[in-house]
Formats: sequence, C-alpha cells, structure tokens
Amino acid sequence: MKRVSFVLSVLVALSMLLAACATPATEAPAATEAAATEAPAATEAPAATEAAAADPNSLPRNETLYFNGQQWGPVVGWNPYSNSNNNALAIAQQDSARVTMFETPYAYNMLDGKQYPLLADGDYVWNDARTEITFKINAAAKWSDGTPVTADDVAYTWATHVKYSTPTGAANIEYIENIEAVDAQTVVVKAKLNADGAAVNPLLVSAYLSTNYVIQKAWTETLEERVAGDATALLADTAEDVVYSGPYHKYFADDTKVVFVRDDNYWGQDASMFGALPAPKYLAHTIFKDNAAGFTALKAGEVDVSQQFNSNIQELWLNENLPISTYLPEAPYGIGASLPTAFFNLTSNGLDQVAVRKAIAMAVDYDTIISNAMTNQSATFTQVPRSLMNPTPGEQAMYDKAAVADLQWAGKDYEGAMALLDEAGVVDTDGDGWREFNGEKLSYVATCPNGWSDWQAAIEVVAAAGKEIGIEITTNYPEWSVYQTVVTKSDAPLPAGYDIFMMWSDGAGPTQPWGRIRKLLSSEFIGMPSNWNGNWGQYSNPDADALIQAIPGETDPAKLNEYYTELVNLYLTEVPSFTLMYRPQSFHAVNESVWTGFPHEGDGTNPPVPPLDMTDGWGVAGLYNLTLVNP
Amino acid sequence: MKGYRKYFLNKMLWFVVTLVAAFILNFILPRLMPGDPVAAIVSRLAQGMSNSTGVQAIYEQYTELFGTNKPMLEQFFIYMKNVVRGDFGFSFSQYPRPVSEVIKASIWWTIALQFPAIIVGWIIGNSLGALAAYLKGGFDKVLMPVSIFVSNLPAFGMAVILLVIFAVNLKWFPTSGGYGFDLIPNMSWKFLWSVIVHYQLPFWSIVAITIGGQAIGMRSMAIYELNADYVKYSRFMGIKDRKIIGYVFRNAMLPQVTGLALSIGTMVGGALVAEIIFSYPGLGTTLLSGVMGQDYPLISAATLIITAMVLIANFLIEILYGFIDPRIKAAQSD
Amino acid sequence: MKHTIQQIFQSGKFVFGFSIFATILLIVIIYPLVITDAPLAIIGQGTFFPPGIYVNVYDSMDSTPYILNLDDAVAKRIAGKLGDQERLDIKDWLVAAGIPENEIDTSNTEQLLEQWVNNYDPQKKVAGMTFARQRYYQRLDASLDGLLSIEGVTVAQKSLETGLLEEIDAVGQSDYVNISEVTNKRVLLLGTDNFGRDMLTELVSATATSLKIGFVAGIIATLIGLTLGLLGGYIGGTVDDVIMFVTNLFIVIPSFVLLILISYSIGQEQRGPITVAAVIGFTSWVWTAKAVRSQVVSLRNRDHVNLSKLSGHSIVHIIISDILPYIASYVVMALILQISSGILAEAGLSILGLGPKTTDVPTLGLMMNWAMIYQAHILGRWWAYLPVLITIALITFSMNLMNTGLDQVFNPALRD
Repeated sequence: MKRVSFVLSVLVALSMLLAACATPATEAPAATEAAATEAPAATEAPAATEAAAADPNSLPRNETLYFNGQQWGPVVGWNPYSNSNNNALAIAQQDSARVTMFETPYAYNMLDGKQYPLLADGDYVWNDARTEITFKINAAAKWSDGTPVTADDVAYTWATHVKYSTPTGAANIEYIENIEAVDAQTVVVKAKLNADGAAVNPLLVSAYLSTNYVIQKAWTETLEERVAGDATALLADTAEDVVYSGPYHKYFADDTKVVFVRDDNYWGQDASMFGALPAPKYLAHTIFKDNAAGFTALKAGEVDVSQQFNSNIQELWLNENLPISTYLPEAPYGIGASLPTAFFNLTSNGLDQVAVRKAIAMAVDYDTIISNAMTNQSATFTQVPRSLMNPTPGEQAMYDKAAVADLQWAGKDYEGAMALLDEAGVVDTDGDGWREFNGEKLSYVATCPNGWSDWQAAIEVVAAAGKEIGIEITTNYPEWSVYQTVVTKSDAPLPAGYDIFMMWSDGAGPTQPWGRIRKLLSSEFIGMPSNWNGNWGQYSNPDADALIQAIPGETDPAKLNEYYTELVNLYLTEVPSFTLMYRPQSFHAVNESVWTGFPHEGDGTNPPVPPLDMTDGWGVAGLYNLTLVNP
Repeated sequence: MKGYRKYFLNKMLWFVVTLVAAFILNFILPRLMPGDPVAAIVSRLAQGMSNSTGVQAIYEQYTELFGTNKPMLEQFFIYMKNVVRGDFGFSFSQYPRPVSEVIKASIWWTIALQFPAIIVGWIIGNSLGALAAYLKGGFDKVLMPVSIFVSNLPAFGMAVILLVIFAVNLKWFPTSGGYGFDLIPNMSWKFLWSVIVHYQLPFWSIVAITIGGQAIGMRSMAIYELNADYVKYSRFMGIKDRKIIGYVFRNAMLPQVTGLALSIGTMVGGALVAEIIFSYPGLGTTLLSGVMGQDYPLISAATLIITAMVLIANFLIEILYGFIDPRIKAAQSD
Repeated sequence: MKHTIQQIFQSGKFVFGFSIFATILLIVIIYPLVITDAPLAIIGQGTFFPPGIYVNVYDSMDSTPYILNLDDAVAKRIAGKLGDQERLDIKDWLVAAGIPENEIDTSNTEQLLEQWVNNYDPQKKVAGMTFARQRYYQRLDASLDGLLSIEGVTVAQKSLETGLLEEIDAVGQSDYVNISEVTNKRVLLLGTDNFGRDMLTELVSATATSLKIGFVAGIIATLIGLTLGLLGGYIGGTVDDVIMFVTNLFIVIPSFVLLILISYSIGQEQRGPITVAAVIGFTSWVWTAKAVRSQVVSLRNRDHVNLSKLSGHSIVHIIISDILPYIASYVVMALILQISSGILAEAGLSILGLGPKTTDVPTLGLMMNWAMIYQAHILGRWWAYLPVLITIALITFSMNLMNTGLDQVFNPALRD
C-alpha cells in the first residue's frame, strides 16, 4: 500500500510538475521572438505619432490594418531576389507587383491599363526604333538607410539577376540586353535585338519596369560578400538586414502572424509622389489554417481586408447587416481578371477532332459553375461573351466583338452539341449509350488538383455535361504536387487520366492580353521538360504562332485590333481549350468596422484605385485614402 | 531481483530493436510517396518565369542540394549521420527554414495543449468511472450513457460544435488563434491571459472526449475488481471499505496507466483536428502540410520524435509495471 | 447459444442500441427504393438552399388563383420590407439629413415614406457613415419602391411575332394558389449542399457507403487482430515476441500519420471506398491484437486446453475448438468497436481531403469536408453539417450501446 501510494504520488506530482512546466512553455515562442521585439521597441520610441501610452506588445486597433488570405504558413525570408520566401505582404514580383516594402519603378493599374510612376519620375519613353526605354528616377526617392535611390541601383539589380541566374534573370534574359545608368537619375533599358534589328519583345521589356523591384546596390554587395558568390546561397539567404524603399518593413513575424510597421521617413510623403504617409501604422496578417478561420475573423471584425475566396459573401451584408462590402455592390462583386481554363489533351482519342472538343465545351453548364462554384463572384458569359480577353473594359475593347458573335455558344446546349457530333459522324455505333470514334468509346477523365474547391466544383459540372451528350467523363483529383509534375512535362504527350484538365491563365498586366494568348496558344512551349508557362495541351497552329510573334512589335491600334480579333476567331473555332469562368485578380472584401475609405466602384479616385487589397500595383494608393470610422 | 534482470534485458533488447526498425521505417515511408517534392519547390520559384532553361537550372540546383537524386541507401546514411548531430536538414516546403526550427516553433504549443488536456481528462475520467463503479445506482445510470455518447462524438464534431456554440454564437471565447490577434508574444499578464483564454475551447474539446473514454474504461476495470473474491472476503472479514478501496483501485489502475503512457507518447501528433478547427498553432498542421507538400525531412523528423516519445513512454511503463505488478514478473518466467 | 441470444435481447442497453442501428439500416435500404433520384445529381443552381418546400413560380401562375381577403396580409407585406430596424434606420438618415427629430414618426408609415422619398439622395455623403452603410441605404431605397401600392403586377411575355412585350396575365395582391394544384414542386427536407445536391438523398446514400466502409474496415481489422493475437498468445515464445514487435511498431508509428501517408500515396485514382476501407483496416488492428493476446494468454493454462494438448490435438485444432469459443464474445465486441472506429477514421480522413473520390459516391466524412470548405458552419447553414454529425454520432453511439449491452451479458458482474 505504501509503495503504491508512493508510486501514485510520484506520478501525480510528476504530472503536476510537467503541467506547470508546460504552461510557461508557451513562453518559448515569446523567447525566440524576444530578440525581434527588442529592435522594433527601440524604433518605436522616437515615433511620437501615437496617442497615449503605447504598449509595444499589442497593436492598437485603430492604427492597424488586418489582412487575411495572402499569407498561408509562416514567413521564410525577406530576400527580394528570391521568389520563394512565402512573404505574402512584402514580396511578389508579378504584373501588379506588391509594393509595400520593396518598390518597382512603375506601378501597373489594372483598371485603366497604365503604368504609373512610383520610383520613377514621369513616364518612360521609347526611342524611335523602339529598342530602348529611358526613364528618370524620382529625385526624392530614398532608401530606408537614408541614401537616395539612383539609376545605379536599377542597373546593379539587373546585373545581379543575370549574374546569379535568379528566376527574374532567367525569365528576362532573352528580352533585355542590358540596363544602364546614364547618370545618377537616368536609366536606359536596352532590349535584345533580333536579326532584323528590332526588339525581340518590347512588350515584355516595358513590363519589366512595373514587375521587378529596384534593390539597393550597397546591400546587394553586402549580400554577395556574405554568400561568397554562391548563387543558391544568395537565393536562400533570409536577408533580415535588407534595405528597402517602401513604406513598410518587418515588425514581427512568427508562426501565427506577421506584422509590418510604417517607416515615418518614407520618401513617398514627398509632394511629388503621394504627399502623405499611408494611413495605417501597422499592417498585420494573422496566419489562419484555412478559409473558414479567416472568414470567421472577417465577420468578427478582426480582419479588415480579405483576399480569400469567401463563398456567398453577399450574405454578410444582406442577411447579417455586417459592414462588409466588395468592390462592386452586386454580382460579380469584383473585377474579373483571369480566365481559369479547361485544357484538352489533343492526343487523346477523339480530342483531336474539333467537333468533339466544341461539343463538350457547348454542353458544360457555365451558369451552374458560376453560381455554385464561384457563388456568383464571376461575370456570366452572357454579360461578357467568351473570348481570350478578361472582362476589364480595357481588354474588352481590344477586339471586334461583332466579328466573332456567331462563333459564341451558350452553355448547356445539349441539342447543339449532339447535332455537332452527329454531323461529324461521331455517333453511338454499338448501342451502349456512349459515342465512339475510330471504333473506341469516347471516355475521358476530367481533372484538377485536389483541395482547390472552386475548381473541383467546376470540374464536377464539366463531367456532368458529358453524360448528357453521350461522352463518358469521369473525374479524378490528384494531389497538387503530382498534378503539376505531370501537367508541366511538355516534352512528351500527357499520360492517361489528364484528358480534360484545368489550369490558370494570366490575369491583368501590361503585356495582356498578348501574354495570356501566348500562354494559351503558342507552340513555343512544346518540348520543354518543365513548362510553367502554358499551352499544356500542346496545341500547335502556325497561324496563331505568327500572330503571336507579330503583336509585340506592332504599335498601330487598328492593326492590333485586327490581330486580336483573328486570334479570338481562331480560338473559338478550334477550341483547344475553353474558359470555365472569370476570376478576380485578387479577391477583395473589406470590413468597415474600424477603417473606411476603401476603394469601391465610383469612389471618385483619379487615377482609379484598383481593388487589389491595397498592396499590389497602383492599389497601394488605397492606403492613403483610409480614414478611421471613429477617429 | 534475478527474475527482474531477465525481464529488463528482454525489454531493453526489444526496445532497441523496435527503435532501429522504427527509425528505418520513418526514413523510408515518406519517401515512398509518389510525386516529386523538388518539383513542388521549383513551381513556387518558377512562377512568372517565361523560359525553360532557367527553370531547369533551378530544378537541378535543388535536386543537388536536397540529394534526392542519390540512391536511397546513400540518402539514408547521410540522414543518419545528420540526425546524430541533431541536424534534421532543410524543410522542403518551407525552404530555407531548417526542420529543427520549424518543429521547435510549433511543438511547444502542441505539448502545452495536449499534455494538460490528457492528464486532466485522465484524472477526471478515471475518478468519475471509479465513482460510478463504487456508488452504482443513479449516478452510474446517468454517467454511462452520457460518457458513451460524448466519447463517441468524432473529435472534429466536438470541436465544430464548441466553436459554433461558444465562439460564433455566444461569443464567449475567441474563434481562432493561440493568442489575441492584436498581441505580440511577451512576458506580460495581458499576453498570458490572452493565451489562457484562447486555450479554453481547444483544451475542453480534447478533454471532453478523453473523459468519456477514460470513464468507461475505468468503470469496467473497477467493477471487475470490486467483484473479485478478495474484496468479498475482506468485507466478510470486517476490514474497512477504505482500506480495501486502496487495493482495488491500485489493481484497476494498471491498464489505465498503460493507456495514459501511450496517450502521452502519441500526443505530439494528436491535436490535429483541434488545431485545424480552431486555427491553433501546433505540430499537427505543420505535419499535415508537410505531408501534402511531400516534405520528407519534416515528416521524418516529426514522426521520429513521436516514435521516440512513444517508445520511451512504453518502455518506462513496462519497467514500472515490473515493479508494481508482481504477476508480470511471474508471468514472464512462465 | 439460443439462451445467450435470448439474454442478449433482454438487455436494455443492447436493445436500445440495436433499435437505433436497425432503424438507420432500414432507412438506408428502403429510402433509395422509394426515392430513386441519383444522390449526386446537382439540382440547385446556387449553394445551400434552406430546407423547405420549393414551389415552381412559373407553374403557380398557371394554377387557378383563389382570392382570399385576409386582414393582416397588407400589414405583413409592409412589415416584411419595413421592419422596426428599418424604420429606425430611416429616421437616423433623415435626422442626419437635417429633418428635425420631432417631425419624424416611425409608426406612421405613409408619412415616413413620404419624407424618405422626398429627402433621400443616394449621392449624399453623410458624415461618419461607412461605405457599407451607404450601400445599405441604397438597397433599402430600392426595396421600398412601390411599397404602399395596392395594385397587382402585370405579367408580360415577349411576343414571338412582334418581339414586343405583350400582357399575358395579371396577378393581384390577394391571389393565392393551392400548393397541391401546382404541377412542379420539390420537398427538400434538408435543403441542398454547396454543390446544389439534395442533402437528404445524399445523406442516406452517404450513410450507406460509410457503413459499408466501416464494415469492411472493421472485419479486416478484426481478422488480422484476431489471427495475430491468437497465434502470439497461444504459441508464445519467439513467435509471440515477433508479433509483439510488429504490434509495437504499429503503435509507435502514429496510425494517423500512417493512414495519411498511405492514403496520399495511393492517390485519388485508386481511392475507391473499398480501398480506403482496406487501408483503415490494415492500420487499426493493433488494439484488437493486444486484447485478444492477453485473453489467450490467460486462457492457455486452463485445464481443458491442457487436456487437449495431452490428447495430442494439433495446435490449429486446439486454437479453433478450445480457445476461440471462449473469446468469441470478446471478438464480437471488438468487431463492433472496430466498425465504429472505422467509420470515424474514414470521416477523419475525408475531412483532411484524403478520403475516397468525391464523384463516385458520397460518404459522411466527404459531406462534412465540403460543408467546412464552403464555410457552412460559419454562415449558419446548419442543414449542411449538423445532420451529418448527428448521423455519425448516432451510428457510433448505437454500436457502442450494443457493445456495452453485450459486455453486460457476457460479464454478469457488469450488470446493473
């Protein structure tokens, strides 16, 4: 008995001890971040803009702007040369680049298609031969360490990209010959020339100006010294000491949240740029595990700006009277910019026939996709007829709608699809209810990555369409890592199980719609062992290729219109792939319980601020218009 | 003590053999998954790149770095060498964060959530079960069905229901996170209080289910014991109930202690559901996203930790058993 | 045997559990015979339709209209659009627009609406009003249009010849139709899910699939556990040590990790429901094996077994005829527990996205998974997840009750 009670009491004591140790164990994350909070605590002291006693360990609600939907998983690094830092609020070099911490020379505005000067001073100018771009750097632009941004920084950034074969360098080396600093303020970008002496692709050269960051030369040199010339180490460096020019920088980052703090010496408050500091002092992003948690936080007012796909978001203001709104008051609630597309594997039996492809495309019930999968956050094809362009007015104006009007098809057109198939001789010869071609039953697998719910819902609808017209379509959802490995292997025909597969297409950008068309139709990607660009169905058409080659060098708008119309014509006739729905560039929903003044349709801003969560491209101007609801 | 020596040596031998086998399995299993993790990393890096040679170069760079192009056996020896030094390598899915940092960041949250929950659930559950067995009557009739029902609610069901009722509708507790959304971790009362408040719902969702399961088990064991001959004999002899109870519960407790040890061993991976529903930081979701991202080093390291903890817990319990229960020693010599 | 079965059915708990389980089985078997719709057919264009009776509006216009003069119809119609909260909101706006507060009477509908119509300006920027609020007032204004009118509406159709709208019908405010006379209606007892599928039909089909998966997984797990437990427990020695070693390996590598890894490796293509069941079965036999083994260990020294050994019967014969009957009750209970934990395991896997293929058959876990992805629990769409949870709980609860009942029959000490 004594022994038992001894053992038992030892066990109980042990467990209590361990429990007592366990709770303070939550300090461990605090301890590891104590170092991080020391430094910013020091920079907080001089900032006298906050009222009352500032608690360095809690973010004042009326000085912080909360986000969700951008950062899934902890931040890995702060290195602008790398693409894999998982640093959603700071680093994204894309068409509308994220300019909260690092800045590009120009900022793209997807609403009017123009590139507005950010670090640059005034518009950029092509020379007459359209082989060189010249622009000036804004004299007021400064780095976070006080030194001015110079043309040298731009040139050295490019040189570093090339020297270490960074993703940016590899992507642009075939289009940009060199970037030079003529003097301290003037930059000349020389395009690579083809055999005729014309620029290989002037569109991509001008796009570089609004896509890629300018990184300080001095810091780059420090980095190079640190990694001693090793390219992999350069990209893997976490760059905690990076020098930036943007308004925000790191305040705190751990597994549960990331916080940025405003630099009150930000050069953009100069009259030549924004003329003021951005309104929120802190930008914070709690790391949620899934959409549901982020959505709950949005409802509760713990998130101000939401980039998630929030299904049925209109319920929040219609039924629950919450102060939540989107850019547009009615469906589609946002500005569609990209075209998720279903590609056909052109080597599958029957899919090399236009009739079969077009019939399947005609039979799909797009209205159900848009209302069920996207919960009406997409324009319908009646509102924006099918083409290669996104729904923005800029792109819609670039082709002649009337010329292709009779090639359009309505969804769920079972009679039309079956008539098409019957006419082409693709009929059911053995009476089993399924059509055959070349003696083989038409049976396809429609697929998209597992876990991408709106895509999965769309693929279900595609599969259901097949049954109605006598073609057997089943679905399969491999894991993303498997899916991408198979789909991007373009040096061999796609294996079985990928007959109709879904992938994205480009959103809005300065090279659009050309960039998107190239990635949908150009045969230059066939044969690449790791093809991340497009045309995964391996469609090849020399006419299309010729047009795609010709467009970048063309400046006459009438001729461009002609080319684009021809391409749309080709696309709707051949149907190598078809658009399933329209998707916004970024989802953008806001909760006005603390902040107001978010961009919305008809808000009167000029230039109009795009709904890009106020972090991308010209959308960053939205940060300057925010005011408090209760000041 | 002679019998003990044979017993201990036997246990020790199997402990080592199991450890080795588990270690090997921990290495092999993740790598048997189909798909190429390096391709996943490259896809993130290559987004926006328009030419192929660059992508190919990056792909080769990383394959070289992670050693996935070497034969399995060679990879195993490199892995073993590194583990002994405490270097678990780089995480694939969170490159360039090292695995040890990824795990360190999240493991304390999991342990802080699971350990007290398991202990509290165990203590309360066993007490309730024992009481039910001893008191019989009304208390027992109510406790049994309720325990069965609660312990059979799937874990995510319990978590979702708690979330919807207490957090979304009643708003008594926060809906997500390990601490207040506007706080930065530090050693202040405000922060600690926030941690405690956020701790409640995930904690109780685990405890509720544990209580149910433990109560049923303990009740059965206690009833067995209470009906044993020695109890009846002792009662006839006039020995006070209190003295008897001590012996009864000591015997009834044994299987429960085994269960507790195993629970503690597996706790590192076990809070997955609570973490997902409540967006609570911890190792469970890190492990899950590691699996989805085919992050071999992370999976191997995490499962190794779990394996080690379970083995050690198991081993310690078996040794403890040898001291507590003389029948074990006798049975071993059978 | 017969006596045992009699006893079993006298046990209150067992009967209760069994009746719940039997009801579920009956529903699962009979429902598809009565209602033959495909469970995965998408019938709703839109997500999460609430439960109710859906009446086709187009057909109700063809139905005979009946005129009912009800006193409160008008008041109800107005109250629907202009409730107390809306009246207060209108008053707030008018006050902010400059109308003196004492001139506004929220209970006087006509006067309030007149003031509203005269003063409301959608472009007006009221100080301190958020944009969401502005849009709210715009919506309110649109909904109040024509609220007080007593005229009915006209239904027009585009004429095929002229292309102009022609009046074909008029609907008065007091026209009612009898639901049973309307040609097309659909009862959706549990509404639809995020795909637009009938929840009730889908739930029944999913229960059937989950039960199947549970049975297969449970049987496989019990068979493996039984065999290994018997062999290890009876034969002892090295065989026992090896079996215990394998068992320990399976304990030590956390089963859920193993489950996830295997599910992931098999890939979606192969993950039919039966395959998932097999995988679950192969990873969850550990406890059965341990329990059976400890029972056999205590049995193997019994007299009748020694007698058989002396008689020279083979090991297999001894195991089957002398040991198996004594642990039969235990095995049945273990089977029941394995089935219920199999169902739970499948639900858990599906929630993580690693369950069976979505499009072949629905399972309970998959339905939960989609409901969570489309955030049904946060939007208050209880019909999308609560019935599923209750079904899972009922199935496992009833099985455990049966198990407890059986336990009490086989172990009289546990009877209350």
